[in-house]
Amino acid sequence: MPTVTIHPTGEVIHLEPGETVLSGLYKAGYAYTVGCRRGGCAICKVDCRSGEFSYNHPVADTVITESELDDGTCLSCRAVPETDVSIELRGENVRLVNRFLHTINDKARQRAEALAAAAVTSGTTHKEQ
Amino acid sequence: MAVMRLGYAHVRVTDMAEAKDHYANTLGLYETLSEGNKAYYKAWDEWDHHSVVLEEGGVGLVKYGWKVQYSSDIDEIEKKAQAFGVTVERMSKGDNPEIGDGIRFTTPSDHVFEVYHAATLVGTEVGTHNPDAFPRHLVGVGVPALDHSLITAEDPGLMDRFLGDVFGFYATERVQTSLDDDADIIATWMTNSTQIHQLAVLAGPQGKLHHFAFRLGDWTEVGRAADLFSMDDVPIDVGPTRHGITRGQTVYFFDPSGNRNEVFAGGYLAYPDRPMHVWTPDALGKGVFYHARELNDAFTSVLT
Repeated sequence: MPTVTIHPTGEVIHLEPGETVLSGLYKAGYAYTVGCRRGGCAICKVDCRSGEFSYNHPVADTVITESELDDGTCLSCRAVPETDVSIELRGENVRLVNRFLHTINDKARQRAEALAAAAVTSGTTHKEQ
Repeated sequence: MAVMRLGYAHVRVTDMAEAKDHYANTLGLYETLSEGNKAYYKAWDEWDHHSVVLEEGGVGLVKYGWKVQYSSDIDEIEKKAQAFGVTVERMSKGDNPEIGDGIRFTTPSDHVFEVYHAATLVGTEVGTHNPDAFPRHLVGVGVPALDHSLITAEDPGLMDRFLGDVFGFYATERVQTSLDDDADIIATWMTNSTQIHQLAVLAGPQGKLHHFAFRLGDWTEVGRAADLFSMDDVPIDVGPTRHGITRGQTVYFFDPSGNRNEVFAGGYLAYPDRPMHVWTPDALGKGVFYHARELNDAFTSVLT
């Protein structure tokens, strides 16, 4: 279960498996400038500074150009992290607009970390459910 | 009357299976043909073969089709478009399935328009002989018809003149920089019938789609559509709300590729001799979204 770290503030958000960056951030109480949420308008592009992600749908080449496929451009509404990722917004910062949701996400992250640590201690590997 | 209506909107979709699910099962359009990477749809109260064409690959607009009343209207529009300085090409029957001969040109706003007179008559879902009020087994929203579209152009004033000169459209409402005679046109709502708008043009990039809209009957139907969008996880952009401009009731939402759709009800009757409504920038928020009275960021920035 990957996490998204927001550069430069360092906030860490826990994602559910298969969840997009945009969906994860909004569910954790954050907001930034987004548009159609379906990969068509290109408004929600961010930069991925580290980690791997893939797109869960075909993306139009007018939305993500060929050069943007490997320059760290991340269409956040369609990008599903495969590893922990670090992202940086373009020309704005995320705004924490809902502390309640943020608290819930924080607890989910702590629980996932505790489970992962317990699995390492007991020598078992995490199994996909 | 030359142009009768917006006959079809042809758009690109990134994923055909998801798009078909949206247009057929959420909006309730009927698939009339699926061929290669394209699928053709009509709404229940439409009689021509199709009003929406989906083409897999990419996102945004391919073209619009405008249906004229008489075949001679095609020649007249061709001459008027050429007189405006636009290059017009002929299209043949079968270039578009079930659509006859016509013309094709690119507007000053870089949108592709086709003008045609003949389309295969499929018939409405209630027929013409002692018809019932609506089909009993509508799916989802069950929209009756395609209604209008909004496009963006660098010079909406130029498009206002173009649609007036070539299609005989008139503006029912405009957003202008001021009330002065030489004010710039920021947006224009145009028609040539009593329908409040058939095509609107908003200042923005060339060749882009803001939305295409389906007709509904009233507030209740608009509210029910919004309920269905929640059931089907369709992203709602704005609404349900009312437009100050046109007075229509609306929900803006996105198809699974990010093309903006609208369901639109109401709007007052337009007449060429009715004094045009003019909106100035200080009231633009109220003009577009009558209740929130603020333009959201997405309204002017999210285009496909």
